[in-house]
Amino acid sequence: MKFIAISTLALLLLAGAPAAAHHAISAKFDDKKPMTLSGVVTLVDWRNPHAHIFVNVKDPKGTGVLNWAVELESPIDLQEGGWNRDIVKPGDSVTVKGIVARDGSRQVWGESVVLSATGRRVLNVTTTPPPPPLQARPVPRWPDKQPRLGPITGGAQGYWGYPSSTVMMEANTNIKMDPWGLLANIADAPKVAPMQPWALALYRNRQSRFLQDDPTYLNCKPPGGPRQFQLRYGVQFVEDRERQRIFVLIGGGNSNYRIIYTDGRTHAGQVGGDDDNPLYYGRAVAKWEGDTLAVDTRGFNEDFWFTNGGLPHTEQLKLLERFTRTDFDTLKYEVTIDDPGAYTRSWSSGWTLRWIANEELPRHLCQENRP
Amino acid sequence: MRRQIALFLFIAACLLVAPARAQEGHPLKGSWIGTWGPSKVHSNDLLVIMSWDGKAVSGTINPGTDDIPLKNATLNPEGWVVHFEGEAKDKAGPINYVFDGKIEGLAFHNRSISGTWKSNRESGQFKIQRQ
Repeated sequence: MKFIAISTLALLLLAGAPAAAHHAISAKFDDKKPMTLSGVVTLVDWRNPHAHIFVNVKDPKGTGVLNWAVELESPIDLQEGGWNRDIVKPGDSVTVKGIVARDGSRQVWGESVVLSATGRRVLNVTTTPPPPPLQARPVPRWPDKQPRLGPITGGAQGYWGYPSSTVMMEANTNIKMDPWGLLANIADAPKVAPMQPWALALYRNRQSRFLQDDPTYLNCKPPGGPRQFQLRYGVQFVEDRERQRIFVLIGGGNSNYRIIYTDGRTHAGQVGGDDDNPLYYGRAVAKWEGDTLAVDTRGFNEDFWFTNGGLPHTEQLKLLERFTRTDFDTLKYEVTIDDPGAYTRSWSSGWTLRWIANEELPRHLCQENRP
Repeated sequence: MRRQIALFLFIAACLLVAPARAQEGHPLKGSWIGTWGPSKVHSNDLLVIMSWDGKAVSGTINPGTDDIPLKNATLNPEGWVVHFEGEAKDKAGPINYVFDGKIEGLAFHNRSISGTWKSNRESGQFKIQRQ
């Protein structure tokens, strides 16, 4: 009975915590405060965006126990690592090494979980991309020779993932950041992009708060702009040639999608949406220039961060994106950012994505009020 | 009467559950509602609408028949200091308002600006919160 009460209390505490979902680890946990916990598992909570195990640990200041929440990667990543919810069960003794929550709550990011009975390390995840193919394969094409960007019905299945960079900065700059876009040295902020003074100050503010205000994780806001091509879980192009449009399904974006029109329409009419229909992905029109799909997107709202790391943008943002499938397994993504509301000039960036063959796009669901 | 109360409660409930618009762009852009007055117990409603075109902040104080266009509106990112002015007129003549404040809670959608205002007739404090 006491176990149920403690577990329920722990869940309630988590439910009341600020919502975050598959956030930058540093947004919530302090990598300068390592901690080792040994105790008995009371609950395994195997849900998006992060799995948790709850562990009763002897109170160092008394005779009772304290219930700690150990946060782990998402169930998607854990399952890809070969783990399932039964690998750790209530009653198991474990030793957890990790880093503690910045807010002082009894939460720890589990860098290592070891079962005491066997000494086996469990629930660890590696996200290294598979090795590139030994030989470049030719670009798959439609009968009219136009490159194919998506899976082929009855043929090659897969999606695009493992971006060569998960952070965005101006081309030909090399600034050290973590995978979530957190600068190693905040003094480098002005070098990231040609920001206006207010945008630079806002970017610094977001960085100094360890990206904890990121609306993509805090409120499950869609990852519009170039960010959709830098998130975990990749993207998939679905080419609807009959209606001359391309759907971009976003694995890391709460299972939402973007439409790119290739029917020759222009940016006319109510491009920017309105309060009832704010456009997180903007309005995209495209044409093929040789083997490159050139996409012109505008009409974005200002309710989201368009990059990992929190570079600001305004409603004046226009993106010119170029997608080139350079070989079967490689998609080159180039983007020019034109936003006179936030930047002093237009600037460019780019990276590549890898074809992940014979796999379905992961179904990651952001859930508000879930840490 | 009962229908009116029900309608009021319904609207209030809708407002309570309406999702907050994050507004991650220019920190001044949006609608700001609060009060201004010589003292906290003697204050009036204040509504300021602000926008940003990439070069300048523009907007209106208390939109309506007696609205006051914003003048010389600036945001200094060093300390997030806000300044704006407005020129109004009544039977007694022109009134020149000057507001100086600071953004608080920058990271949040319901950030606020608080500070002081003065005119050629009186002065006081103001606080407005982004809606």
